[in-house]
Amino acid sequence: MTTATAAATTPANRYDVVIIGAGLAGCAAAQALAHADPERRRKILLIDRHPGSSPRFAGEFIHPRGAQILADLGFYAALKAAGAVDVDGFTVLERADGRYVELAYDEVPGQRSQGLAVHHKTLVRVMRQVVRECPQVDLFEGWIIHELLHRGERVCGVVLTGPAGQQVTVHADLVVGADGKASQVRKLAGIPDQRQTVGFTVGLELRNASLPAPTWGNIILGAWGPVLVYPISRDTTSGSGGDLIYRVTLDLPANLPVKGARLAEFLLETFVPFLPHPLADQIADAILHHKGPFEMAPTVNLPAPTAVRPGLALIGDAGGCSHPITASGMTMGLRDAECLGEEARRRSDAPAHEAWLDDGSLRRYRAEHDRYVPTRQALADAIYEVFRGGNEGARAIQRALFDYWASGRSARARSMALLSCAEGRPGVFLSEYLKAARYAIESSLVARHAAHLPTRDRLRQVSGAMQLASNKLGLVAQVMWAQVRPTWLPHDRTFI
Amino acid sequence: MLASKPVWKPVFGPDLRDMPALSPTRVTPQGHGRLAAAIARATTAASWWREQTPVASRTAARGEPPYLLSVPDIGLACEVLLADRLFHDLGSAERDGLAGWIRATQQPSGAWHDAAGRPDPSRTALGWWALVESGDDPEAEHLVRARRIVHELGGAQRGSIEVRLWLAMAGHIPWAWLPTMPAELWLLPTVTWLSPSRVSPWARGVMTPYLLLSRAPARVHVSSAAPLLLHRPDGEPILPRLVQPGLLGDLLQAFDQGVKLIRKLPRGPVLGAALKRVQRWMIAAQQAHGGWFAAHPTLLSLIALRVLGANYDDPRIVRGLAYLRRARGLVSTPAGPQLAQGLLCAPLTTLARMVRLALAGDAASIAAGEAALPFLLGEEIRQIGEWQLRTNAPAGGWPCEAGADKYVDTLSTCAVLDALHALPRSSHHQSQARAAMRRAVEVLLAMQEPDGGFARFERGESEVFMTRFPLRDASLLAAGTPTDNARVRVSAAALRQLGRLGFQADDDRVARGIQWLWQRVTLDMAGFDLGTLGELALCSAALCPPTHPLRQTIERQLRGRQREDGSFGSVVDTAVAMHGLMALEGAVCIQTQRAARHLVQLLDSAPPELAQAALSERLGGEWTPGLGLTPVCHDPSAGVREAALALTVFAERGGQL
Repeated sequence: MTTATAAATTPANRYDVVIIGAGLAGCAAAQALAHADPERRRKILLIDRHPGSSPRFAGEFIHPRGAQILADLGFYAALKAAGAVDVDGFTVLERADGRYVELAYDEVPGQRSQGLAVHHKTLVRVMRQVVRECPQVDLFEGWIIHELLHRGERVCGVVLTGPAGQQVTVHADLVVGADGKASQVRKLAGIPDQRQTVGFTVGLELRNASLPAPTWGNIILGAWGPVLVYPISRDTTSGSGGDLIYRVTLDLPANLPVKGARLAEFLLETFVPFLPHPLADQIADAILHHKGPFEMAPTVNLPAPTAVRPGLALIGDAGGCSHPITASGMTMGLRDAECLGEEARRRSDAPAHEAWLDDGSLRRYRAEHDRYVPTRQALADAIYEVFRGGNEGARAIQRALFDYWASGRSARARSMALLSCAEGRPGVFLSEYLKAARYAIESSLVARHAAHLPTRDRLRQVSGAMQLASNKLGLVAQVMWAQVRPTWLPHDRTFI
Repeated sequence: MLASKPVWKPVFGPDLRDMPALSPTRVTPQGHGRLAAAIARATTAASWWREQTPVASRTAARGEPPYLLSVPDIGLACEVLLADRLFHDLGSAERDGLAGWIRATQQPSGAWHDAAGRPDPSRTALGWWALVESGDDPEAEHLVRARRIVHELGGAQRGSIEVRLWLAMAGHIPWAWLPTMPAELWLLPTVTWLSPSRVSPWARGVMTPYLLLSRAPARVHVSSAAPLLLHRPDGEPILPRLVQPGLLGDLLQAFDQGVKLIRKLPRGPVLGAALKRVQRWMIAAQQAHGGWFAAHPTLLSLIALRVLGANYDDPRIVRGLAYLRRARGLVSTPAGPQLAQGLLCAPLTTLARMVRLALAGDAASIAAGEAALPFLLGEEIRQIGEWQLRTNAPAGGWPCEAGADKYVDTLSTCAVLDALHALPRSSHHQSQARAAMRRAVEVLLAMQEPDGGFARFERGESEVFMTRFPLRDASLLAAGTPTDNARVRVSAAALRQLGRLGFQADDDRVARGIQWLWQRVTLDMAGFDLGTLGELALCSAALCPPTHPLRQTIERQLRGRQREDGSFGSVVDTAVAMHGLMALEGAVCIQTQRAARHLVQLLDSAPPELAQAALSERLGGEWTPGLGLTPVCHDPSAGVREAALALTVFAERGGQL
C-alpha cells in the first residue's frame, strides 16, 4: 500500500479490479494481479468484512500445488516465519486398530514434496500483511459490499458500506468475488447456486498430538464421519524444535442430534471411542477442558456455479466448494488466483483505456476453472461418501481403496496426485475409477473374518459396490467432459 | 422363547398381586428425602447382590456358595443329581441342597410347573426321578402325587428329549424311541443347510454329545424310573410319537425308521470318519471356563466323554464339573436358602447391570463400580470363535457368562456397553473401555441378519432349515423364531447401542434395523411385553426423531400401559418403563413421576428390619431369556437393582416426588 493511500480512510472512486473478500483466495488474487503488473499501472481494491480475520473456523491445509503458488506469490516465507508447518502428505487409518496407509506427497512426480498447513487466522493475518506491502493494492477492512453497479448486463463497479455506515461508489473493470461459500457477490449478481449443507465440522486444537506421522494430515475412519488431525502451527517458544499445535476436525451430521452444552458429551460418546489410543485420550481431554462453545463450521456442497459474468469473476469457495475431506479447497482458491494472475499477465500491456482483464481473459479463466473444480468436487464427494461408509457400496469401496493402496507405491502415488490436485488428466481419473471399482468387487467376494460368509452376503456387498460405482458413472462422465471440453464451446446463454 | 409373560409362580420371588394396594402418594415437602431414602435402600440391597458375584467375590472367599443370579427350572438340578452316578462329584451337602430345592418347588398337586404355570410332565418326571435318586421313598405321598401327574399327562415317555434320553440311558426305553441323527451330517460342509453348523449354538452343543451317546449307546445305572412309564394292557410301554401329527410327520416317522435300518448296515470308513469328527467337534467346543455352551450341553458332553472312555481325573471332565459347580448357587425358598443348579455361570448381563448401577451412585459406589471394570473388560472375547461362522467381524464383544470365550452374546454386549457408557470420564479405565466399545460395535454390526434384525449368539440361529422338518423336537434346533419378542428386544438393544455410539438412520444398516422393528411393531405390537416395549422406547429415542411413526407408536403404547397405581406391572417393568419414558421425553414427565412414586411407596412400605434378600424377594425379579430346554430363567436381583437405577436416573434428571 502506498503512503498516500495508507492514510486514506475510504476507497477511491475508480480501480481496475475490486476484490471482495480478503481471505486466502482474495489476498492471493490481489497479489497475483499485482505481480502481473510490474509497471504498477493498475490499481486493485481489496476489501473484507472482518477487521483482522474472519472469526470462523475455516480451511488450513494446502497441498503442494497450492504451497507452490504461495511461494511464487511471496507468501510462503512469511507464513513459515509465522509458524506454518510443512506437511508431507496424508495418512488414512481404516479404524483405530485397522489398516493404515500413507499417501506421501513426495511419491507424486513433478510437484513439491511438501504442502503447508497453517492456522487459518494466522494465514489470513500474514497474507494481509504481505498484500499491504503491494503498492497497487488498497486493503480496506470492515467494509462490505452493498450493491453491484451494472452497465447493461456488465458489472462495472460496486457500492461499498464502510465501518461507520458510509457508502462509497467504486467503479471498476472487474469485480472479483472471493467472499466464500456464502458469497454476497454471487447473490448480488443473481448467479443461482445449489448450495447444500451436508453437515458440520467441529474444530479443536491439540498440542503435540500422538500420531504415527506428526507432520502429515491424519484421517481416521470408523466414527460417524471421518476425523482429520493435522498440524497447524509450530510453537517455537516451547523448547527444542517447538511443540506442534494440531487441528482436529470432527465431522457431524447435518441434523445435529444434540446442541449446545451437550455437544461435548456427544463428541465423547460418538467420536472418541473410534480413535486410537493415546490420541483418543488427548482429544477427550481437549473436549472435556474446552471452555465456551466449540468452533464449528457448516460443510457445504456447492456445485460450481457460473464462475464469470461480464465484468465479474468468482474465485475460491465462492466459485464452488465441497466437503473438506480432500483438503483441496484452499489449493483450488490459490489456483483460481494464479489463473487470474496469468490472464492479467497476458494483458499486462493493454492500453489504459481498455479493461485489464477483458471478456476473453474471463472466458479463458472460466474454461480453466471449469476443468479442475468439477474434478475436485467429484473426488471430494466420492471420497467423503466412501470414508463415511454409510452404505454397503461405500464400505466395499473403502475396503477396496485400502487393498488398492496396499498393492504398491504407484497406486498410492496416482491416488495422491488426484487428491492433491496435481493430476487432472481425464485418462488417469478414469483409470483410477475403474481400478477402485474392480478392487471393490474383488474384495466384496472375500470374507475377512467369517469362516463361512453366506453367498447372499457376498452378493449384497458386490451389488452395493456395483451400484455405487454405477451411480458415479454420471459424475465421471461429467468430469471427463469438463476436462476435454473445447474452450471455444459456449457454456450457456449467460456466458460472455 | 415365550410369547407372553410367564405366569409360573416361583418360590424365589413374590407375586406383586399378593401385595396390598398402594394408596396414591401426594407430593410432599419431604418428597426429596423420601426419594433419596428409597434410592439408598434399593441401592444397598442391590449392592448386597453385587457382593454375591465374581465382580466382588467376597462371598466366594468365605467359601459359601453365592446366591444365583439366574435361576432356571429344576430340570438341570435333576439331571445333575442323576448324572452324579457317573461322576461321584457331589458332596452330601450339595446333594441335599439340590434335592431340597427340588422338593421346595413342587406344587401342592405334586407337579412341577413350566414357566407358563402349567404342570410339566418332563419337569415332574425328572423331579420324581431325582428325588428317588436322592433317597426319597417312591411311595412317599409327594412322589405318589408326582407319579400320578406324570401318568395323567401321558407317561414319562411323552416327556421332552432330555427325559427320553435319560430313560434310554437308564435302559427303560429303547434308543429307537429317540430321534435319529446320521453322523454323516457332521461331514457336510458348513455351508450346507443340513450341516450341524447351521443350528443354534445351544442345539449344536446338545446334539453333538447326543449323537455320541446314542451311537455308543450309553448306559447309566440310576434308580428305576419304570413306574413313570405308561404301558399298554399287554404290558408293552406305549411308543411315543417322534414327529408332529400329519401326513408329513407320518412320512418322516417312516423315514426315521428307515434311517435306523440304514444304521444297521455296514457303512465302512465314512461312519468312522464322521464319528471322529463328531468327537473332535465336541472336544473343541469346551470353553475356557471348563463348560460347553451353558449347563445342559456341558452335562451331556461330560457324560459323552465318560462314554468315550475318559476317566474321572481327565482334565476335561474335572474342568467341566468345576464349571457346573460354579454355576450352582443358593436360592431363597420358604424353607430357607437351598442350593440350585444354574443355567449359566455368572450371567454377564446381570453383572453388567450391577456395575451400571454402581457407576450411577455416589463416589463410594462409583469407586466400587470402577473396581469391577477390570473384571468386565477382562471378560471380553479376544479370540475368534464359533460365533464367527457367518459373522464377518473381528473378535470382540462379550459372552453370556463369565469365563466363556467362544460365543458372543449380543444382549450381554449391550449390557456391558451400557455400563461402559456410564464410566466417569476421568476414569483410568477409559482407554481400555473405548477400545472394547470399538470392537463391540464391529461385532454388533456383524450380528445383523439380512432382514435387518439382530441375532443374539450367531447369525442364522433363529432360522434353521432343519426346523422345517415335522420333528417333535425340531424347534429346539433354533434359538427362537425370526419374529419373536426376544429377537425384537435383542435388535432394539443392539440398535440403541449403535445409536449411542454415533450411528444414525443415515447408515443403511441402522435404517434396515429400524425398518425391521417397525414391521414387527405394526404386526405384533399387542404381544410385546413391557421389557420389549421399554427397549424399543430407548432404541427409538436414540435413533428416531420425535415425529417418527415408530417412536410415536411406542410412546403411545408405553404410556397406555400405566396402571392406576402408577406402576406398569412388576417393579422391573415399572423401572424399564420409567427409563423408556425419560428417554422419549428427554426429561421427567408426570407419568414417570407417578411411576417413581409407586416404586418409592413400595420401598417405603417394606419393613426396615427386612434383610436384603427378603427385600429383593418382596420387590420381585425379572424373567430373562434362557436357552433351549430352559426357555426362561428368573433373576431375583432385578427388582431392587432396576428400581434403584430407575430412581437414581429419575433423581439425576431433576425428578421429584
